[in-house]
Amino acid sequence: MHPLTVSAAFLAISSAFLLYGLSYDTRQLEARVSAQERLADKARADIAVLKAERAHLGRPSRIEPLARAQGLEPLTDKQMTDRVPDGGLSTGAIAR
Amino acid sequence: MRGAAKGGRRARSSEPAPARAEAHYGPRGRFRTRLVMLGMAALFACVAAQLARLAGSGGFEMVAAITEPMARSYARPDILDRGGRLLATDIEMPSLFADPSLVQGLDDVTERLGTVLPDMDQGELRRQLSDRNRRFIWLRRGIAPKLAQQIHDLGLPGLEFRDELRRAYPLERLAGHVLGSVNIDNRGASGIERTIDETVGVEPTHGAPSNVGLPVRLSLDLGVQHAIEDELKAAMVRYESKGAAGLVMDVRTGEMLASASLPGLDPSQPSEVLDPARIDKIQGGTYELGSIFKILTVAMALDSGKAKLDTVLDVTKPLTAGRFTIKDLHASGRPLTVSEVFLHSSNVGSGMLALAEGPERQKAFLEKLGLMAPMRTEAGPVAAPQLPPQFGRAEQITVAYGHGMAVAPIQFAAATAAIINGGTRVTPTYFRGRSDAPASTRVVSAETSNSLRGLLRRNVSEPIGTGRRADVPGYRVGGKTGTAEMPGRGGYMEKAVVASFLAAFPMDDPKYLVLVLLFEPKGTSESAGEVLAGRNAAPTAGRVIARIAPLLGVKPAADVAQLPN
Repeated sequence: MHPLTVSAAFLAISSAFLLYGLSYDTRQLEARVSAQERLADKARADIAVLKAERAHLGRPSRIEPLARAQGLEPLTDKQMTDRVPDGGLSTGAIAR
Repeated sequence: MRGAAKGGRRARSSEPAPARAEAHYGPRGRFRTRLVMLGMAALFACVAAQLARLAGSGGFEMVAAITEPMARSYARPDILDRGGRLLATDIEMPSLFADPSLVQGLDDVTERLGTVLPDMDQGELRRQLSDRNRRFIWLRRGIAPKLAQQIHDLGLPGLEFRDELRRAYPLERLAGHVLGSVNIDNRGASGIERTIDETVGVEPTHGAPSNVGLPVRLSLDLGVQHAIEDELKAAMVRYESKGAAGLVMDVRTGEMLASASLPGLDPSQPSEVLDPARIDKIQGGTYELGSIFKILTVAMALDSGKAKLDTVLDVTKPLTAGRFTIKDLHASGRPLTVSEVFLHSSNVGSGMLALAEGPERQKAFLEKLGLMAPMRTEAGPVAAPQLPPQFGRAEQITVAYGHGMAVAPIQFAAATAAIINGGTRVTPTYFRGRSDAPASTRVVSAETSNSLRGLLRRNVSEPIGTGRRADVPGYRVGGKTGTAEMPGRGGYMEKAVVASFLAAFPMDDPKYLVLVLLFEPKGTSESAGEVLAGRNAAPTAGRVIARIAPLLGVKPAADVAQLPN
């Protein structure tokens, strides 16, 4: 057979193998990408649930009774001062 | 003949095959055989390649032959308050569907499903599942994960789950009216949710929450909203009222920091959303607001220059208009100055101020304040104001003290904010930092605004003021009471009133407006047996301000006495 025919045949076969290999790799990568995407979706869904749960646990109607039980009250004008007295702030003054 | 033929065949079969072919077909025949063999090989190679390709490609697209439209859900942006705290978000929840053609044992399935979902209509379920021509039926959408697990554990064939996006309101009823609601496909149906569909946009999706743009940030403040809802709830118990509503507005920008209407509603409960008893009283209903309208009447008289604060009006005689006689609740028995008309809440005095102005100017003034035209906020259309058919003498007088004209509280609050903030009109908004607000239009002069600030403060700080129970030390509260009899069959009902209090603080440089409304309060021991706003709405507003002022960063100060009289 003519050497050109042989080399062409060889080229055709080897490129077919190469292409097959490439498409196989691509499919593998695509599978990995979709797996990652699924993972990201799952994480996003989990984050959404956690965010909603945090907001639910931090809802004012739940926090308020807890704060009151700790003895906390809304700020009043008596707790505010314009100037720090000459002696400076004495530490521990806020303790009940 | 026969033997020769036999011998000939035997003789030919003993030769090697190619030689036989050559002998039979010649060299061209040999070439053709090879060609056919090559062709066959190529064909087999094609088949093998195709097989390899199919084996390698793995995931086939399964095409489900479903004739019914598969419901899609929509991904929505989160809703945050002004401080970035979450008010509404999308979460994935399983939805139960059935393929009736796969369901086995109809009775067994309906009965066992009924044990986990007792509120499900068994007859309807049976009817749906017995239709074997259908391949897809939603049974329950948005099931709690725990319940879904229980249904899964029943192991019923033909029942499947699909994850769908559902709207979650983690704060339950808080600001439920403003947020609005979504339909079964997660599309906005009312309130802010609907505005999001119309302006920001939502994305169709088949499951997982996606990043649908930036969250929507509202002007509401969670802390302020909770404080006002909590205080209104307490007031409803204290004064045995049938309902309550309240709002907090930034008087300069029109931003709503809170808007509450009780009984409240949970946006995730469709039955509550559709309940007429739970309408949004802040912008879904119109009310005759009573004496708080006198703020507008006095502002009108001062702004036109027809009266000054010290102008004396003879309010000793009742006003008549046709068959009506308008009297004062607590007649002072002496002429009053315009300031006193405001502080004593004199109906006769207000009527006289309106009559002096004339119907055209009174109408024009109300129009300038935006009280005559329908209004819209991001939470939906505001109930259109109900106006008297004509502004005759009787209408002029009654509108002057807040009767004969019904407006939504939010619309009235916006009008009053303009009078308090220095005289420029504001548009109420629920979005933070909205830039498309119209350029501020002046409605009253700065002097008029200043005079009204003084009057409002005096009405709370002075012992004769009707709003003295709203005072909060340090926060310079000003306000006006209003007790409006509710219209009933054949006239007004004396005992059924809407008690309101419009307050603003700090009055030396007002920043926030608070409006409190109590519907049909009773005379309890807490209100000394009275239903007047000074006894119920005013102290409620005071409590609200005491709680929200520190949250809003208003610095308490010793009272400022140098306000104009």
